[in-house]
Amino acid sequence: MMGKIFSRPLIGSVLAMILGLGTGCSHWIELAVPTDAAPPTSATVATDARVPLLLETIRVTHNGSSIAPPTILERQVLGVIEATHLFSQHYQSGYSQPTADQARVTMRLSIDNLVEPHAGQAAWRGFVIGASMFTLAPFISLNYDYGAEMSLEMERWDGQIKQYTATSNGSAHYNLFGASPDVIEQLKGQVTEACLSSLLNQVIQDSIFYLTSSEQPRGNPIRTVSVGVRHSSPRAIPMSQPIADSSPR
Amino acid sequence: MLVYIFLITLMAALTSPIYAAEPTPKITVGTQEVGLSVGYLLPHRLTQDHTTKQEGIVFMPSWMMTLSDPIGNSWYRGQVSLGAEMVYIQFQEPFVTHGVGFTPKIKYTFAALDRIRPYAEFAGGPFWTDLTGKIPEESGQFNFVLSAGFGVSYFLTDQAALNIGYRFQHISNGGTQYPNIGLNASLPYGGFSFFY
Repeated sequence: MMGKIFSRPLIGSVLAMILGLGTGCSHWIELAVPTDAAPPTSATVATDARVPLLLETIRVTHNGSSIAPPTILERQVLGVIEATHLFSQHYQSGYSQPTADQARVTMRLSIDNLVEPHAGQAAWRGFVIGASMFTLAPFISLNYDYGAEMSLEMERWDGQIKQYTATSNGSAHYNLFGASPDVIEQLKGQVTEACLSSLLNQVIQDSIFYLTSSEQPRGNPIRTVSVGVRHSSPRAIPMSQPIADSSPR
Repeated sequence: MLVYIFLITLMAALTSPIYAAEPTPKITVGTQEVGLSVGYLLPHRLTQDHTTKQEGIVFMPSWMMTLSDPIGNSWYRGQVSLGAEMVYIQFQEPFVTHGVGFTPKIKYTFAALDRIRPYAEFAGGPFWTDLTGKIPEESGQFNFVLSAGFGVSYFLTDQAALNIGYRFQHISNGGTQYPNIGLNASLPYGGFSFFY
């Protein structure tokens, strides 16, 4: 009898705690679908027609203020470019360079990051959560918006220049106990990758422009490579799920 | 025992290497802070009805979560963090008694200076003590504790900081029992925090 009397409130309390902690620790990321997003493009190009790429500059601004480009961003940019297979080799300014007489494409990338941490909202909601002795923590979410505007200048070996632009933005939503610097880093990484993918998709559409020759010499065996962008689909990330586990393959 | 743990941890923090690679500790949204502060309560008898000179050592373990990136671009540039704190008071005067409370806490940390970061804080929550049944100002054992104050953190490393500060503390029962004159005190304290 006593067991029955105590078991219901006990079970109810345990369930409420599990539900509260579960939802209080949640976070999710939403990427906005770009209105000008083109469908993924791929092409097949001759291997020998490809030229090296020199990543000359990456300029980064953070809410309008210039900042030094983080090393991880440089690696991410180079990684996404390499994954397209459009260029034969990849060089970065300041490291080993292609020879002067070698045909090459020079890339200049400008990234404007727009950050809106909703600090005032976070302070107010934090006060409300604290005043409720954290009982409202599972029901009040905090927000962090991040956007990127990229403009890319591609200069061919003969001086011809093409320019491309792309934008991407997303939001991280998290409950108090789900807040973590990793959530913000995941948001930034996804927005940057979506923007880079959109940008390079445009470059792939012009892939012929960056080849030394659109025709292969007759009589030689033609070796080709498929070029394209690994597209990450903008979507909401399930709660508390590591990004690496949910990335498209 | 707690004092020994505090001293050992404090010495460990003081002898930690200071990394010069990062000029400033990078505290971002979601950075968590755990800390322990120790202070001593000094009474304020604000009216003629206040007669008790309560004194005692105070232990305050705390946890906080940074809710915002730095706000503003001037001297007031800073960050908001929210968390909770346990308060344990061992009253030495007028009787050896105890008090324990749990308080949500909100803090604004000025981030304009690199390793030296002043802050303002406010905390409030329920507080139980067996002192209040033995003094004329308060009657019940269930009370509330409110504290507001300021302090400064000095970052020894990017993840460890020493804190010193001052709080004004008020204990009363919110009118749930009478008398309810309240107890007021100054609380100078020192401690350390780890950020992760």
